[in-house]
Amino acid sequence: MSQSAASARRSGFLSAFLEDSSFLREYLWKYRKPVFWGMVSLIVVDILEVIPPILLKESIDAAIDNKPLRLLAYFALAYLGVALLQGVCRWGWRVFLIRASQEAGRDLRGRFAGHLFGLPASFFDKRPIGELMSLATSDVEAVRFMIGAGLLTLADALFYFITVPIAMFWLSPELTLLAFIPLPVIPWLVLRNQRAIHERFEKLQERFAAISAMTQEALGGIRVIKAFAKEDAQADRFRSLGEDAVRASLRLARVQTAFGPTLDFTMSLGMVFLLYVGGRALISEEAGTTAAVSLGTFVAFQRYIQKMVWPMAALGMALGAYQKSVTSSNRLKEVLARRTDVPEDENSEVPRLEAVASGWRTAGKVEFRDLSFRFPGSARDALSGITLTVEPGERVAFVGAVGAGKSALLSLLPRLYPVGRGMLLIDGVDVNRWPLEELRRQVGFVSQDVFLFSETVVENIAYGLHGWMEARGGTAPENSPVEEATQLACVHEDVIGFSGSYATRVGERGVNLSGGQKQRLTIARAIVKKPSILVLDDALSSVDVQTEERILRGLRSRPGRNTEIIAAHRISTIQDADRIVVLEDGRVRQVGTHQELLADQRGAYRKFHEEQRLKTELESYSELLDAAVERGGGA
Amino acid sequence: MSAAEGLEAYLDVEERESRKIRPDNLKRLLRLIFEHPLPLLTGLLLVLLGTAATLLEPRLFGHAIDEAIVPRRWDRLVELTSWFFVLITVRVLAVIGQGYLFEILGNRVTQRLRCELFSHLQRLPLAIYDRNPAGRLMTRVTNDIASLSEMFSAGFVSMVSNALMVLGILVWLLALDLRLGLIAGSVFPFMIAAGVYFSGRLRISYREARSKLSALNAFLAENLLGMKVVHLFNRTGVHLARFERLNRWYADAQIATVRVFALFQPTITVAAGIAMALVIWFGGVAVAEGTIRIGVLVAYFSYVLSLFQPVRELADKWNVFLSGMASAERIFSILDWPTELPAELPEAKPLRGLQGHIVFEDVWFAYEGERWVLRDFSLEIRPGMKVGVVGHTGAGKTTLISLLMRFYEPQKGRILLDGKDLREYDKRELRASIGIVQQDVFVFSGTWEDNITFWGKSPGLATGSGSPAGLGPALRRQSEREKRELQERGSNLSVGERQLLAFSRVLATRPAIWILDEATANMDSGTEKQLQGILDEAASGKSLIMIAHRLATVRRADLIVVLHKGVAIERGRHEELLRRDGLYARLYRYQAVSAERSEEAVPVT
Repeated sequence: MSQSAASARRSGFLSAFLEDSSFLREYLWKYRKPVFWGMVSLIVVDILEVIPPILLKESIDAAIDNKPLRLLAYFALAYLGVALLQGVCRWGWRVFLIRASQEAGRDLRGRFAGHLFGLPASFFDKRPIGELMSLATSDVEAVRFMIGAGLLTLADALFYFITVPIAMFWLSPELTLLAFIPLPVIPWLVLRNQRAIHERFEKLQERFAAISAMTQEALGGIRVIKAFAKEDAQADRFRSLGEDAVRASLRLARVQTAFGPTLDFTMSLGMVFLLYVGGRALISEEAGTTAAVSLGTFVAFQRYIQKMVWPMAALGMALGAYQKSVTSSNRLKEVLARRTDVPEDENSEVPRLEAVASGWRTAGKVEFRDLSFRFPGSARDALSGITLTVEPGERVAFVGAVGAGKSALLSLLPRLYPVGRGMLLIDGVDVNRWPLEELRRQVGFVSQDVFLFSETVVENIAYGLHGWMEARGGTAPENSPVEEATQLACVHEDVIGFSGSYATRVGERGVNLSGGQKQRLTIARAIVKKPSILVLDDALSSVDVQTEERILRGLRSRPGRNTEIIAAHRISTIQDADRIVVLEDGRVRQVGTHQELLADQRGAYRKFHEEQRLKTELESYSELLDAAVERGGGA
Repeated sequence: MSAAEGLEAYLDVEERESRKIRPDNLKRLLRLIFEHPLPLLTGLLLVLLGTAATLLEPRLFGHAIDEAIVPRRWDRLVELTSWFFVLITVRVLAVIGQGYLFEILGNRVTQRLRCELFSHLQRLPLAIYDRNPAGRLMTRVTNDIASLSEMFSAGFVSMVSNALMVLGILVWLLALDLRLGLIAGSVFPFMIAAGVYFSGRLRISYREARSKLSALNAFLAENLLGMKVVHLFNRTGVHLARFERLNRWYADAQIATVRVFALFQPTITVAAGIAMALVIWFGGVAVAEGTIRIGVLVAYFSYVLSLFQPVRELADKWNVFLSGMASAERIFSILDWPTELPAELPEAKPLRGLQGHIVFEDVWFAYEGERWVLRDFSLEIRPGMKVGVVGHTGAGKTTLISLLMRFYEPQKGRILLDGKDLREYDKRELRASIGIVQQDVFVFSGTWEDNITFWGKSPGLATGSGSPAGLGPALRRQSEREKRELQERGSNLSVGERQLLAFSRVLATRPAIWILDEATANMDSGTEKQLQGILDEAASGKSLIMIAHRLATVRRADLIVVLHKGVAIERGRHEELLRRDGLYARLYRYQAVSAERSEEAVPVT
């Protein structure tokens, strides 16, 4: 019984090991060729490593015993030959193994990024980008390091343990045992030290983090600190945090600076033993008795002992690297286990993407049937019991306070989130059953948070036209769908005014654009692919009223126009819609045209309208004042 | 380069690390180091001792062969073995000692620079903060200080001791036997050349790889941020392909680095092999001929073999040293920026007997060039007067306060406080005398009390010691909050609590002048009433400036100034302004309706 328990534990251990090392094994297998040649080079280096001390021994013995001098020449040449061969092999294992590890790292990084690209919106809502970045950088790097340098160190150490002791034993068994007395302490020292170093290093990192946090706060809150003239107190506090870091750093230094020398000392003790006992053997050796130890052997041992320190230390280091790679690969696997994107029905009623001609378009009928929705992880319904039909060709506008559910409703159309309770149908087909790519080709969605890539204007706009950039080769977009779209979005003139015109780089790392320009570019990006349903989620808020009017008028006549669904805060954006829906607390409150809704004296829409009227009045008065100020300078 | 096509945007132009070290910066750094003569000199002494012991060891080993083993003298062997033991003990202790002493030195210098840098940043005028993103300044305090500290702990010691070691070995080799020394040392110049060559090549490769890594990271970070757009436009495939290109690009740069490194080590191996072969032949012959003793040859083997490791380390550490120097250079350049405050900062006490009579006299101000934010602005606030300042965002309301606090100086006109030009006051004493409650309450991570005293000495109102009687229940409950840990940016405080915190900060300083900068903007009416009570008592008889977006706040003010594009276009009391039917009246009417609507609205979760 205990035997089976033991075997179960063993198999548990084995399966844990297999699980932990799955990335390592996978990539080592994938790059088995370079790994093989790298290992061969390594073994050759380690075997050759045994020879130089023997050559030294033979040279010394030859020199003392007055053997023919040409022997010395042979030894010298042999030494050189070994060095050359070792040089080549040392080059070989680096080039083969480290290269393989870089390629494996690249593969793993690509695989991880590829997975991220397939994950649904709800995943990114909850994960800070910094965390994902650190997975893609430092955790991938930890796994890569184990595949390359980690494996190398381990293999190197293990081979040394085979080759060097054999050579030593062959030369003199007694001296070998003697020299090895202090050596077993080394792996123990290394492991113990690594643990101490790790613990102290973590403490130091904490101190550094505290300094960073305080610096960040002090820089961010500089106005407050200056306003209260508390610079002195801040500097005092910073100094004391710094002193904490100094203490932690010195605490680390105490183990770290002692580590190397301690190893060195242990090794040197072996040398003391060697000198004392080996020397005694040489002295007491009478002429004619067994010449167990020659002077040359003695010198060869001196070299061997020095060589044994490295593999002992390496063993500890390799174990540390392995541990780190296991932790990191588990973190990576947690994300890789996430299911990619919203599930969709296999036997979809809509023709698969490959089957449809690129021109195929939906009619654009949108039906909400008793639809309720809450964001993943939220405890409260963002939408409840929405029932509404949008006919093909209709423009429907949604208004309501912040949090009334406008964005939630609109984000369901391109299925950024799957519909849970109730139904959302497009052309009579449940959105959950649409092939995702096709659905998103049909629905043009402009979000309220503008996002442009750090690319040129034309690249950003032609974004949804697959293959267009490649086909046009980035030439000027005159008379192309791109210009058509920028004309419609009233941003063409702006673009022409940029220093590089359509080739101007925008986005985070590009030129500064006004909020309105960014919004109009994102609208152009959405309409260039001629979606049959266009969704604007508060996408005109930073555009001035006159331009907005032109855009909205233009959209009515855009090529291939079908349905438009708009959410907005401004009356000007929505008043011309065919129907206006007032949302409150996730429910539909009022539906009707602008005139119909205004007629309801007590309705929410009327208040909204009154507020907007006063706001417009205020704005136009302010504009008058602007002109006066610019003219007069003073009051 | 073709792989980079279209992806250049993600490549940062890296700050150039010059290979030249500016002598004045080196001098400046050395001056900082010499401020700690004890660890420095003792450390250097131990380096000498350690190097000497290391050098003696092989010689002693060889000596033992010549003096004890070959002549078979047992007593000498015991003696020399004991010496050998002493020698290694001394060496090991010296190495530990020097490492630790240099760590102390490095830590002290780093701490000194870190504090100096921090205090310098605190003393910079706000204009500098407007121009420099906080992230960049942050990098100076963290990354540059870290690389400087690495230079001290890894680069400095190792460079000094390795250089000494190389020098010592070379001298010793020549001293032991001039001919053999010259022969063995003949390889050395080639070693140095290889070291210089490879360290240069490595630096270039490292930089390449680093810049490609940062491009890869920038691309990925941007895509994670815009993932929604990628999905909505069905662009996953295209973006993955581009990522793959950058990924490949980076891996190739890394492999190029590996290639350089892969050549460096074998070069050293072969050079060492040549040197050893020469020693075996010439040394062996010399021993056979009896010109040198066998122990000398054994010592030679050790010396020649230990000559190459330090050279490799030197080549490696040279790069650490260079990047440390580059960091020092960047830190020094910030330390040279002019500050608005002196280096020595005592605790700032509020000015005594301040009346709070404020006069803005024809003030013109622009943050840059001729883009005026305030135009010919004049205003008199007599002691005890309550003044409201209203207007759109960007009208210049907050700028007014910044000028009063002397965060900026007006280009034309002047500001008087109690009849004296502001410039005649000490900046910090002036600021300490003005209590300002801001809309965005900046909460530091720490306790409630820390947030009020800023970790300073004077507890003031925070501990309730000096709280005026009858300040309402809000303050009395405060003592319970004092020990509570507040999270970064106050994420565990309600909006009302934050405002209370901001008020408490000001109450603790008992200022002569109160400023409320949109202080009650996001407050529920209950809290607002409470704070109004506190304020009425604390600020009674004191001058008060209220900046408000919500006009209800300023209705009771003695004077309301309406700012538009930096011009005071209307001024008067509430009723007068309503009668004028200008900007104020329109703002008021709009807000009346909009406030009604927003109160009906569902609270945002």
